[in-house]
Parts: sequence; C-alpha cells; structure tokens
Amino acid sequence: MEVLNWIFNGNSIAMVGAAVACLAGVGSAIGVGVAGQAAAGVVAEDPTQFGKTLIMQALPGTQGIYGLLVAFLILMKIGFIGGGSVGAIDSVTGAYIFAASLPIGIVGIFSGIAQGKAAAAGIMLIAKRPGEIAKGMIFAAMVETYAVLALLVSIIMLNSVTV
Amino acid sequence: MKKFSVIALDSVKENLVVDLMDLGVTELNSQDEKMAEMEWAALVRKDGNENEVTKLEGLLGRVDLAIKVLEEADTSKKPLFKTRKAVTREQFKNVLLNRETIEKEMEDVIALSNDLKTLKNSTNKIETTMASLKPWVSYSVPLELQETKTTYITMGVMPSISDVTRFKDNLNAITNLCDIEVVGSDDELHYLIVMYYKNVEEEVLDGLRQNGFSKVSFKDMKGSAAENLALCRNQLDEIANQVENIQLKLAEKINSKENIEYLHDELNIKKDRQKVRARMLKTGHTFYADGWLPEDAVGDVENVFKKYKCCYEVTEPDKEEEFPVLLRNNSFVTPFESVTALYSVPNSKNIDPTPIFAIWYFIFYGMMFSDAAYGLIMMIACGLVLKKFRLEGMPHKLVKMFFYCGLSTAIWGVIFGGYFGDLISIIGTTFFNKEISVPSVFVPLDDPISLLVFCLGLGIIHLFIGMGVSAYMSFREGRPLDAVFDIFSWYLLIIGLPIWYLGGSLNATVSTVGLIMTVVGAVTILLTGGRKKKGIGKITGGLGAIYGITGYLSDILSYSRLLALGLATGVIASVVNTMGSLAGGGILGAVILTVVVIFGHTFNFAINALGAFVHACRLQYVEFFGKFFEGGGIAFQPLKKNTKYVDIVNKN
Repeated sequence: MEVLNWIFNGNSIAMVGAAVACLAGVGSAIGVGVAGQAAAGVVAEDPTQFGKTLIMQALPGTQGIYGLLVAFLILMKIGFIGGGSVGAIDSVTGAYIFAASLPIGIVGIFSGIAQGKAAAAGIMLIAKRPGEIAKGMIFAAMVETYAVLALLVSIIMLNSVTV
Repeated sequence: MKKFSVIALDSVKENLVVDLMDLGVTELNSQDEKMAEMEWAALVRKDGNENEVTKLEGLLGRVDLAIKVLEEADTSKKPLFKTRKAVTREQFKNVLLNRETIEKEMEDVIALSNDLKTLKNSTNKIETTMASLKPWVSYSVPLELQETKTTYITMGVMPSISDVTRFKDNLNAITNLCDIEVVGSDDELHYLIVMYYKNVEEEVLDGLRQNGFSKVSFKDMKGSAAENLALCRNQLDEIANQVENIQLKLAEKINSKENIEYLHDELNIKKDRQKVRARMLKTGHTFYADGWLPEDAVGDVENVFKKYKCCYEVTEPDKEEEFPVLLRNNSFVTPFESVTALYSVPNSKNIDPTPIFAIWYFIFYGMMFSDAAYGLIMMIACGLVLKKFRLEGMPHKLVKMFFYCGLSTAIWGVIFGGYFGDLISIIGTTFFNKEISVPSVFVPLDDPISLLVFCLGLGIIHLFIGMGVSAYMSFREGRPLDAVFDIFSWYLLIIGLPIWYLGGSLNATVSTVGLIMTVVGAVTILLTGGRKKKGIGKITGGLGAIYGITGYLSDILSYSRLLALGLATGVIASVVNTMGSLAGGGILGAVILTVVVIFGHTFNFAINALGAFVHACRLQYVEFFGKFFEGGGIAFQPLKKNTKYVDIVNKN
C-alpha cells in the first residue's frame, strides 16, 4: 500500500528522527521561560541586575541548540541538505537514524525543564547575594551534564550508521 | 604568610599608621580576644576614637550625596568601565590644598539638591489642586461664595452611574425652592451645584444625602475655578523657571565633581586610619598591635618598624593557626585566580590550586570554543579593553584570562580547521564554484570517536593530577599511608583496567600486567577502605570505597563535554553558513550571506563563549577541586589606601 510505503520508507523514518531530535527545544523553551519569570521578578525589584539575570536565563537554552545540531546532522547524513543527492535508504538504516535522535530528543526535554528550574533558583540566589553568580551558574550547569551525555550518545549513534 | 607584633611609643603611632597604609601589605588583627583575657585587660585598654570615626563617616555620607547628585546631573557620555584615575601624591595633595573651597562647593550642591526636592513637592501639590479644580471650570461663581442673604450654595459630586434628572425630580418633589445644575461630568463623577433657600435647608440636605451626594469645598480659595486654575498654572511656570535655574547652577558645579571625588578619597583614608586604631591596645604611653604580612613584604615592613624605633617581632604562624590567604602567581597564572576566587578562597592549610589548573583551563576552554576566527576576535576585543581602560582587581583578571582563552581558542581552531566554521569552503562553492579545502590537523566531524577517546584521556590525566595533589597534601601533613591507600590504589586500578582489557590485542604479558595492577589496586581499596571505621564498618567501608569506581567513571565521562561543546560550536557555525548560502551566488547572495553571517556568528559566539566559560569552570570545580580542595579561607585584607575614584601612585 502507498501509505505504508511512505511511512516505512527509510527516508521518512529518518526525517521523523530529525523532527524528534528538535523536540529538545521544548525543554529549553519551558526552562528558559521559567528562568525568565524569576528574572523578571528580580529586575522588578532591582533593575541593575538585568545583565546577570539574563546570563542565568540563557543557560537552559543549550538543549534546544543540541537538538538543532543533531537534527542538522541527520539531515546532512541522509542528504536532504548540504548539496548532495537524496538517495533511497532502506528502512532498517532509517530506523537506526530514528533511534539516534531519541537520546537528545527525550533527555533534552526533561533536562531543559530541570535546568530551567535550577537557573530560576540561581537567579533568586543572585538577588540575595549579587556576588555569587558563579555558584548559581555552576548549579544550573550541573543539570546540563545529562543533556551533554545524551548529545554525545546521539552523535556517536548517528556516526556509526552507514548510509 | 608571616605573623608580626609590634610595640611602640604613642608619639609615633600616627606616622607609623600612615607608612603602613602606604605600603599596603599588613593586616592588623582585632584585639577583642585579648581584651577578654584577665592578664591583658589588667595591663591595657582598647585604643580607638569612635567619635572621630563617626564624624568622618557622617561627612563622607554628605560627600557621597553630593557626588550622586552631580552624577545624575551629568549628561555627558559615561565610560564603559568605571576605573580609577592615576595621580601622584603631589597632585593629590595639591588638589586638597583648596579643601575649604571644595567643601563649600559640596554644601552648595547639597543645598541645590534640597531646593530641587522642595520645588518638586510644591509642583506635586499644585498639580493635585489643579486636577481637583478642572471639573469646575465652567462654574463662574466665585468659590468662596457659599451663601447669600436668603440662599445657600453647595458644591458637590455624585457617582456618574446615578441618574441626575431623576435626582432633580426627586428633590423638586420635596421642595421647589432649590435648583441643581450639572457643571461637569467625567468617567467617575457628576459635578453639581445646588442652590436652595435657607428655610428648606433640612429637607434639601436630607434629599441630597439620600441620593448619594457628597459635598466638596475649596477652602481658602477666592475667585472662580477658572481664575484659580490660571493662578496655579502661573505658579507652575514660576516653579519650572526656578527648577531650570537650579539645574543650570548644578550643571556649572559638574566641574567640581572631580575635586569632590578627591575629597571623598581623602576622607576615606582618614577614616580608615582612625578605624584601625580600634585594632590596637594601649597603655599610658605605648601601644601594641599584631597581624599578618606576606613573606616578600617582610623587608619593607621591618624597615618601617626600625625607622620608628619600634620593638617588633616577625614569626611563622603557629602549626594549627589559620591565617588570611593571599594568592601570588606569575603573570600567566594570575588571571586564572579569578576562577578560584569565584569558587572560594582556599583554606590556609591548602595549597593554591591556581597554578596547577591554569594551563588545563586554558586548554579546555580552547577545545570547547574551538574556532580560529572567534578566538582572534576575542583576543582583539580583550586586548583593546585592557589597553584602553585601567582595570584593576577582578575585572582586570577576568579580561586578561579571556584574552588567553581567546589565544587557546584560536590555536584549537587552527588545529580543527574552523574559521567561522566552514565559511571559507561555503563561500568557495557558492560564489566561485571551487572546492577550497582549509588546512587542518584534525577535523572533529570526520572521526569524533577518536577525538572522544582523546578527550577522555585528557580527562584521566587531569583527574590524576587532582588526585596527585591530594596525595601530596597527605604526605605534607604526615599521613603518607593515606596517600598510598586512597590514591595510589586507585591509580593502579584505573590504569590497570584498560591495560588488562585492551592489552590482550597487543601482547599476552601486557594483559597480565594489567590484570595484576587491577587486582592489587582493587584489593587494596577493599581492605583499606574502611580503616577509619570500627567493627563491621571496616568491611562495609571497603565495599563502599570500591563502589566509588562509579564516581570515577562519571568523572571521566564528564570530560566528553569537551568534544560535545567543541562539535556544537562547529556545527552551529556550519548551519549558519549553510543557511546564509541558500540564496545562491551573485550580489544578492553575497548581501544575504553577510547579514546571516553577522547575526548567526554573533549568536554562536555569545552562546558558546558563555558555555565554554561555565563548563570549563565546572570541570575545575567539580572534577578537579573535588579531589583535594578545601575552601572556607578568609581573604587577606591589608591596611591600605581605600580610594574609590583615584589611585595614588608613587612617582617613578
């Protein structure tokens, strides 16, 4: 059947993989949003803290970037961007590529949200003690470890697939 | 850090303090503890002049206020960084010869600022009055006319939701001898004039009350509402004139701001001189003080003591004594002290970790931010800031550190072949249809696994150095066995495992050596892990210690972020370049590419510079410091000239 062919075509599955990888942006969006709410509260009391709180708010944004990265790597691998030609991929390879997108796609969401909460707490830390911004950043950066590991696994998995 | 104590005659105290302040290398301890001891309390009293300090602090408060007022009145461009101006001692003294003039200027500024405040209050009052008069502007009867021979005139308001016609009808039903006129309305209220014969006062007032009418009166105002409004406007104009005058006068005073800043610094120095006396003990004619000084300053300080014929003593601190900490490093390492300072001041018993991790921070930052063009931009920007602004302290260290990190970034960028990512090859293929290959030692995307192994290897070395420092500290504190059981056993285990595992492919003996190392290491850990515990704890402690291998595994894997972040920079850069090249060649394509490149690479630069900074710090704080570092130290705060606006330098 045509429809089944579309769905289980190797390229289709790989494209879905690229889309799933970008889901990490959901985590970043929520995380940066939560941090932004905390930052607005702090700046309402003390407008001079804008720069510091902005830096803290940016920290949960990396998961979205990692997701974009993996999505791009997938698209380049299957030839949809980068000027190469789009060849036919068999379904198994497509499934491998889809699997490679899952680590960053899923972990990115949850670690983005969690990092956003840690960043929000770090922002309140700066409000009370403006000199301790480094410590707040470290607290938030600890959460990012897991996004980094997931990114690594995604990249290694993707790299080991031959198209 | 050395300890000193000194006793001298009262007569030299003033000059001694001045000289010590000039040197700026001694920290005097507070003597509260000694005063609590009977022996000491019988001999000495606490020195200090609280009144003088309070007086100086009060004066400083006024000077600060004057400076703040002038800063707000100053509309000229403010510099990007606030730095202190370098002046010689003579210049400083010369400016303060005109002390009285400067003090008068300061008082003038404060007076002008107070006048401004009063005028602002008046403006607010008048504006409120105007707002209350505005609705009555069409009422032409003078406001003070509230009664005639036979009638009363009342002004008042009603909520705008009520129906005035019905109100009028209701009132007229009660009595005909009254009239109501609506002179104005707005969103909230109707403004009414009610005129009624005196003999129906009671009924009218009742009726008014029942219908939600509230009386309004303008005390002390004469003339109609319109006249009063005009009067208010005149008053406002008058005040605006006065405000302008004052602002002009303040603008003239801006020239004195610099002199007032000098006054601030002079007062601050005087205040500190008085304050430090509270850290001395005195008898009838002598005084005592003790404290700390860095080793390389001993010569200078001893000369000062000799100059004033003091009785002094400079010794090593006691074995278990804690002393304030000052970090001293060479010019490459010093900027990285900012990373240590952001975490915590090292304990006085610790060693300074900065010279050890400085080179590693340098390498890691470069690997994570790797791009030759970004590195070059960072170096140029930091170099310009350092040249143009006279930064001091932490900002100076941070900017200089980023300068070095830029250098490292550029080096790794050249190794990985990244110049704004793959911009050069994109430009080649899009505009010139040529394949330009950029030289590089190793392209990460070609073989990420090898690079990953390299990063993990670097990580293992970094960790081993951290563990080595811990072992060194154990030796230094006379606990060599701790080093063997805790550190060397892990060295054996961590090195032995891969050798055993992978050595098989090389040579059977290599594999056996690995196996022996692993077993020796593991057994040592198992047997000695619980040595500090009692009873069954000895065994469970060993098991717990061997479980620590998961900790080491996660530490090693943590270094994979070097690869991940390095890749992230490169891939985002190539994404930006690819997006910019989608418009094809030609002039339009070039314009679009330029715009996309500028915005995209700025974004990439910002995100990854910050990310590299945070993660390089995190690798030091968690993986490296975690092995041996004890924070909680107190920073060394010497007695020195605490000037905010000028830096008094010795003429060279």
